[in-house]
Amino acid sequence: MKKTLLAICSILLITTASFGQAKKPTIMVLPSDVWCNQNGFMIEYDNQGTKVKVPDYKRAFQSSSDLLNVISKINGLMADRGFPLKNAESALKSLESESAENAMLTSKGGASVAESPVDKLKKQAKADIIMQLTWVVNTTGPKKSITFTLQGLDSYTDKQVATAQGTGAPSFSAELPVLLEEAVLSQLDNFNASLQKHFDDMFENGREIVIRIKKFDSWDGDLEKDFGGKELGAVIEDWLKANTVKGRFSTTDMTENMALFEQVRIPLYDAGGNATDARGFCKGLQKYLSAAPYSVTCKLMMKGLGQATIVLGDK
Amino acid sequence: MKKLTTTIVMTLALVTGLIFSPSAMAQIGEKKAERKANKDTEDFRYEIECVGNGAMGTYLVKVWSYSKKPTVATEQSKKNAVHGVIFKGFAGGGQGCVAQKALASDPAIEEQKQAFFEDFFRDGGKYMKYVTVSNDGAVGEGDRLKIGKEYKIGVVVSVQKDALRKDLEAAGVIKGLSSGF
Repeated sequence: MKKTLLAICSILLITTASFGQAKKPTIMVLPSDVWCNQNGFMIEYDNQGTKVKVPDYKRAFQSSSDLLNVISKINGLMADRGFPLKNAESALKSLESESAENAMLTSKGGASVAESPVDKLKKQAKADIIMQLTWVVNTTGPKKSITFTLQGLDSYTDKQVATAQGTGAPSFSAELPVLLEEAVLSQLDNFNASLQKHFDDMFENGREIVIRIKKFDSWDGDLEKDFGGKELGAVIEDWLKANTVKGRFSTTDMTENMALFEQVRIPLYDAGGNATDARGFCKGLQKYLSAAPYSVTCKLMMKGLGQATIVLGDK
Repeated sequence: MKKLTTTIVMTLALVTGLIFSPSAMAQIGEKKAERKANKDTEDFRYEIECVGNGAMGTYLVKVWSYSKKPTVATEQSKKNAVHGVIFKGFAGGGQGCVAQKALASDPAIEEQKQAFFEDFFRDGGKYMKYVTVSNDGAVGEGDRLKIGKEYKIGVVVSVQKDALRKDLEAAGVIKGLSSGF
């Protein structure tokens, strides 16, 4: 009897422990495109006749001590709140050193590291939520003030999940770093309050993700292929209805070749009580489509916690 | 018999004199004012406004409290400041002040954790740990208003919001950013 009770208690404890931890999103602070443009940290290149400007983060981190101060302050305050951030400058350096290591790495037999073009494309400094930072120095006569904006952008849904914005008190004497520190101190609590709301919503209604369905051109089927009176696209929608939190998702696009599902609310834990993400959720769909009567071979690709792509017809 | 009556009358006069002496009356009045001030705090009958950017980890606020006794209103400002930071938040304004939201985002938390807050906000309770009165509690010119029979007193108070938030998170009263992860 005692042994049975002990076993039940252990199972309960293990279940509680495994349910306690959802997958934690990563957050990284980056200067906005507007800030980079205004401060001359952009790279311009010719894209088939069109001039395109993209932010040059590396040069910005190396040149602007104000940017370093602000990011360092935000990182410190967020760590104090128990949510340490990913440091963008370090992430860029890690990427560079990893690329160099990969280029040099060979096996004893002379083989090098396998890397597809997609792998190369995916080599970016990334985080689940980007804290986008902008400040503008306002000058009225001898007085200076700072307009400071902090936006929390979800990397997968493109939604702004948190924000804080305001203009500080004008000052005759305070230097820019002091004004910036004041701005961070006064705005970060409001930013965190809205971020907390986003997390609360996630715990209540599930993680919001984006799912893309595509097909290889070598496959003779498509999303309009009929299975017992139902098109494959509709079959996928039915599966999503059954497996999302409260059946919540939006079909944004659906053609015979592709489908885009947005605002897909997935549970934070799978049936086994393990923390899950977009990839874990879509593995279920992949398995469902691979089995009879559909028997469609699928390739599953993911991007962070909140985006997954299933390509039908091949691996 | 006459002697006994005189003794009783004298004892009664003494007791009555003690009870209704000016100092005893003042004490009773003070206690009543304190109880009323505590009720006002529970009913959110106070105003809180930002007066500037405090030092790191603090909010610098001015709290307007009401009482018939100015000393009670001044003392109650500390309690009201912490109460306001937890449940009310405050608006922004001049001096680069930024509006701040309440630490407790769930409005029901006051009722759900009633026992905790009763102990926390009792006279001389734990709330005192997070609050400092500026200028030794001196009330500025124009911050002492007489409204009917009451005084409305404005006191500048510094609240250690970071320490307060950490302790409330540790006590499970409010959620931390990384709760659940």
